[in-house]
Amino acid sequence: MSHPRATALIADDEEPMRDMLRARLAECWPELEIVAEAGNGIEAIALAGQHQPDIVFLDIRMPGMSGIEAARMLFNRCHIVFITAYDQYAIEAFEQGALDYLLKPAGGERLKATCARLQARVGKKPNNIERQLSALLSHRAPEKQRDYLHWIQAQVGNSLRMISTREILFFRADEKYTRVQTAEGEVLIRKTLKELEDELNPNEFWRIHRSTLVRVDAIAEVTRDLRGRQMVRVRNSKEELEVSRGNTHLFQQM
Amino acid sequence: MNPVAKRNAIGFVREVGETASALWWQFFDWLAQVPMRQLVVTWVLALLLGCTPILLPEQAAAFVLISLGLKVLAGGKRKAEIEARKASEQAGTETLERKLVEAQMAALQAQVEPHFLFNTLALIGQLIETDPPQAAKIHTHLIEYLRSTLPQMRARGSGTLGRQIALSRSYLAIMQARMKSRLSVSIDVPPELESATFPPMMLQILIENCIKHGLEPKIEGGRIDIRASVNGNMMQVDVQDDGVGFSLYAGDGVGLTNIRERLKLVYGTRAQLLIEQPAEGGCRASIRVPFAPDIFAGAPA
Repeated sequence: MSHPRATALIADDEEPMRDMLRARLAECWPELEIVAEAGNGIEAIALAGQHQPDIVFLDIRMPGMSGIEAARMLFNRCHIVFITAYDQYAIEAFEQGALDYLLKPAGGERLKATCARLQARVGKKPNNIERQLSALLSHRAPEKQRDYLHWIQAQVGNSLRMISTREILFFRADEKYTRVQTAEGEVLIRKTLKELEDELNPNEFWRIHRSTLVRVDAIAEVTRDLRGRQMVRVRNSKEELEVSRGNTHLFQQM
Repeated sequence: MNPVAKRNAIGFVREVGETASALWWQFFDWLAQVPMRQLVVTWVLALLLGCTPILLPEQAAAFVLISLGLKVLAGGKRKAEIEARKASEQAGTETLERKLVEAQMAALQAQVEPHFLFNTLALIGQLIETDPPQAAKIHTHLIEYLRSTLPQMRARGSGTLGRQIALSRSYLAIMQARMKSRLSVSIDVPPELESATFPPMMLQILIENCIKHGLEPKIEGGRIDIRASVNGNMMQVDVQDDGVGFSLYAGDGVGLTNIRERLKLVYGTRAQLLIEQPAEGGCRASIRVPFAPDIFAGAPA
């Protein structure tokens, strides 16, 4: 049985994986010519432009540019087969479409089926992959969430210390600095409370006072003092934090 | 009086008794804890009320006297009791929290990333055909690595730095076989520190983080440096990479939280996990624990 001649490009950041796919393809489809191999998404785009292959095998997780992003740029120019190690959502998405995927390690009957599918398509116009891509992307990133600050950078001595927001008990404005309090101690940073408030997850940190941002999970108790003010006490700290009048609603239901 | 009415009456009396007793103890607790200054204010108020027709002056004076007597004689003891009860309640929740954390840690330790496992197995499969001796080597490294990650497989004496370094070497050897020239490694641990006590899995978590977040996303790859040193009675282990560096928006992965909580459980405030961004780029994670050479480290298991 004679197969159409075709050219292909393999993109995977791990060289042994490329070697393996090349070896397996040589068994299933000896006439297929591998014109180039890329170690990342950006290289894949460049080499695809240079060699104009009929087929591109794309790993999904690659440095620089992921296989998904690369596929977007190769849109309508070649047949694309994704190779993935574990992404179950990709499998779901592609099972419905004409576009193909391979699960690592690719080989055996599954790769033969892919080759047969590709052989039938070589020379024809590539499928519109946009629909499958958006299906895949919607599976991978369920409604893109806003990125919140998870680390605070503080100059300690002559190095930059990274403090996880999970360690922080509260922030207090201290003239032109902001004091970051953890169970271990305190450091000063230059970011203002307003900037922090905008960048931190509002469900994780509450503004209880003009000069105080407190981590909700660290709150141990909320009490009223003799003057009727609400006071917040956090775990691992003796400091009492006042809740200003405008913010008492935060603890109304408690 | 018929029996039903009698039972009702007894029930009513008992209820009144209980309410009175509850009120009495509430009053007693208040008395035990109220500051002297506030008590004096209350007395003055009571005496003032005693001069009005609402309360008789004798009763007001009696109240002042009795409450003073109780405060002096029994207040301190009662206060101590209340505080002890509060403290033991808090201790109870702390023990519970501790148990919960430990359970989570155990679950986490058993986790091997499927991506890593599948890729390594695929690599071994490929090497069996092209380079069998290399396949056998990677296979041995994989077994060694799995032994460290599955808690029930962990051998005695795994809690030393030397053991942790050996396991990390296995993991790094596998990663080097996969990433080839994109990964270089240097390990600088003085031999005398190898018998020092060091908690399991922490080093591996730091190294995996370096590869996953620092070096894999970097096109040209990079290097990992592992160093250990002793300063006074503290031992410090650094894992540094020259990868893409730190994203302030990257979530604090379970791994780092795991390390931090475990350090807190085992060492309290005497241990530390520091994460820093060196001036030259990349990321450096350091664990500081009290230096404790394990005298049984060399003994046969």
